[in-house]
Amino acid sequence: MTSPSPSPLRDTSRPGALDGFRVLDLSTSVAGAYCTKLLAAYGADVIKVERPGSGDPIRSHGPFASPEAPNETGALHLYLNANKRSLTLDVTSISGQVLLAELAGQVDCIVDDRQVGSLDAAGLTRDVRNARLPKLVTTLLSAYGQDGPNANLPSTNLTQLATSGQMALMGEAEQEPLKAGGYQAEYQLGLNGFTATLAGLFAAATSGIGDEIDVSAQEAMASTLELALPAYAFLQVDTGGVRRGNIPSSAIGLYPCVDGFLGVHAMPRNFPALARLMDMAWMLEDERFSTSAARLQNEDELRAMLYMWALEQEKKPTYERAGREHAPVAYVHDMPDLFESEHLKERGYLHEIAHPLAGTLTYPGAPIQMTETPWQEGRAPLLGEHTDEILRGMLNRTDADMAVFRGHGVI
Amino acid sequence: MAALPLAGIRIVDLTAVWAGPYATRILGDMGAEVIKIEAPRSPDLLRALSMLPPETEHSWNKSAYFNHNNRSKKSTILDLASETGRTLFLELVAKSDVVIENYRAEVMDKLNINYDVLRSVKEDIILVSMPGHGKNGPERDYVAYGTNVEQLAGLASLSGYLDGPPQKSGISYGDPVAGVAGAGAVMMALLSRSKTGKGQYIEIAQRENLTAMIGEAVVGYSITGETPARMGNRHPFYSPHGCYPAAGENRWFTIACRDDFEFASLAYAMGVPELADDPRFAEAAIRHKNQAELDEIIAGWTANKTEDVLAAQLETAGVPCAPVLTPRDVYHDEHLRERGFFERVTHAEAGEWDMERPVYRFAARPARIERNAPMFGEHNDQVFSEILGLSREQIADLRARGITADEPDMSAHR
Repeated sequence: MTSPSPSPLRDTSRPGALDGFRVLDLSTSVAGAYCTKLLAAYGADVIKVERPGSGDPIRSHGPFASPEAPNETGALHLYLNANKRSLTLDVTSISGQVLLAELAGQVDCIVDDRQVGSLDAAGLTRDVRNARLPKLVTTLLSAYGQDGPNANLPSTNLTQLATSGQMALMGEAEQEPLKAGGYQAEYQLGLNGFTATLAGLFAAATSGIGDEIDVSAQEAMASTLELALPAYAFLQVDTGGVRRGNIPSSAIGLYPCVDGFLGVHAMPRNFPALARLMDMAWMLEDERFSTSAARLQNEDELRAMLYMWALEQEKKPTYERAGREHAPVAYVHDMPDLFESEHLKERGYLHEIAHPLAGTLTYPGAPIQMTETPWQEGRAPLLGEHTDEILRGMLNRTDADMAVFRGHGVI
Repeated sequence: MAALPLAGIRIVDLTAVWAGPYATRILGDMGAEVIKIEAPRSPDLLRALSMLPPETEHSWNKSAYFNHNNRSKKSTILDLASETGRTLFLELVAKSDVVIENYRAEVMDKLNINYDVLRSVKEDIILVSMPGHGKNGPERDYVAYGTNVEQLAGLASLSGYLDGPPQKSGISYGDPVAGVAGAGAVMMALLSRSKTGKGQYIEIAQRENLTAMIGEAVVGYSITGETPARMGNRHPFYSPHGCYPAAGENRWFTIACRDDFEFASLAYAMGVPELADDPRFAEAAIRHKNQAELDEIIAGWTANKTEDVLAAQLETAGVPCAPVLTPRDVYHDEHLRERGFFERVTHAEAGEWDMERPVYRFAARPARIERNAPMFGEHNDQVFSEILGLSREQIADLRARGITADEPDMSAHR
């Protein structure tokens, strides 16, 4: 039985940077899903391997566009699995592993964010890959990396943020450390996995030699602690154990305003523009505020003035005036603000994608705008939508084979 | 051992501060030859943030912040605003594969080195721009620094304590994630060029790159029309899921149970297995509703135990958990040390210290820190003579005219 595609998966009217590359994605979390979402949107043919029956665990995350079809219409799945082909396959079964090994021979890359050792358990050990698939790139994404004492510990987005150093820096001093919104540890791991995979593909394309790449969430995030880790490593100055809240200094802060929150990030050269925006140009002549050294001495006073000033401002007019005057003031965009943003509209960033069961919804667009090989819009696949075309088309399986696989729950 | 992935690729790096330099650090780590250009009178701001006493000699070469973000690069000083400097820059571009910049939108046009100009000297050049807002749209010329990006992207609106205001990250979060995307963009363009022979222009608007990292909230809002509530350390449907006090000053411990089984394991490890059968907590959806009560019970259990004790008990039980590590803890973390994450590096002026290793670990191409961060202008002579073929006299003339320099004028950053 061939299930007809309800609508084409994506717009391939213009060439993609990764056209011709094929990726086998065994991931079950946000990290791997974001990595391969990006690969797919730039042209790679991503085959997403999903557990028969329930599919990718990401499918169970609401809100759901259609309560009648929750497994197909969760926001996380619609977003992260866009552009991919869905293959249901039980990789714990013998037949599933045979099919997986055959597929591995037809792809350029495997991405896996499951527990360390999962690929080995499915029969694709590094030795097997090196011996049979010397050009294959294997990207392994994990919380702690593939080795070391913590490699096998269970983890989530929250614990990954905790072990990276990023969480210790976020929040108010008198409250507990705070995670960033959404799944930022997983997204960071996925984004790094994307870039690492591209490095692997480029190396394989130029040298003919594939590789296994180990990317650890902890290491990826610990590398981006701004000043805190370098200062400790070089000067043994511990700047990082204290959460500095929403207003860490007079130069940087998030201040409540009439209808939301204003964000100030003033480098020394922007202070004059900020003072003028506040209608307090007198500060430029006042020795308490005219130099950055003086402002540092009078931090509290300046913070208080900014706070009182912001309380009386409306976010949009202030932001627009700041923009015209090159003052470093933005405002916190909530979801309605993003949807109403004239800037994003003119750039065509948010846009609609139709899905057979979820209907037409609004999605973020290209994080990277490539002029010659643009981002390709596409929708998420239905569970197992491409099982037939992949097993018949790529692996030459027959009707009889498919019936047996179905009967045994392999697909 | 195979060559590093980007061996033989030359990148001209016009970026400064964090986003762009993080991109080129990754590219350098991956084997590209990265030539960082700074202006004599406008050195990278991070060189000024050294945290060293003002009288420190050559403090611009000893800024840990600069050195961590600019390892794996060479440094050449060139005033692009001068006609000679611009000409030399274009000669360098003609011998390079990629140019990457993170100026404000209008700067490349003002310097007369936009993509069309670069293409006229190198047909297949790849140019990556990393502006905050993008090069078009009504806000293109607005100032957007580090912390502004997460405000504009929508992330700050999702972050925050339960019923609290939006909360900023502890870092300029939009920067490094734009950097990782920037490095990826370069590699995609190189892959594409190797097939088509064509270069291209690429733009990464930092705010858009970060909105892509909260995509499910955008799609979710499009489904529900409801602005998502801030939920502190909680999860939309897992519980318990939080950050609890541990013994000691400012010590914290995270616990995240993804299902009933992990919760039962937690309850058992806490010595109160009956919690798993308690009607308030037994079933996931009801437990989620009652998690404030549960959090109090858990916090009462964690508060007098050290992180090591908590970790030992919960890890054995298979409960996802972890201590909240400060940057200092990260530096001393046994797991990271055992993985060899920190490498001892030396620097001619700054001395010796431990730096984090390249994050992407290739089995057949182990990346070490081959090159520490360059001193200001360290590769002036090398780039001018070996790549651009200038004579010693011509280089001396550049110095005399202030088109290049060996010491920066730091006054712009005071």
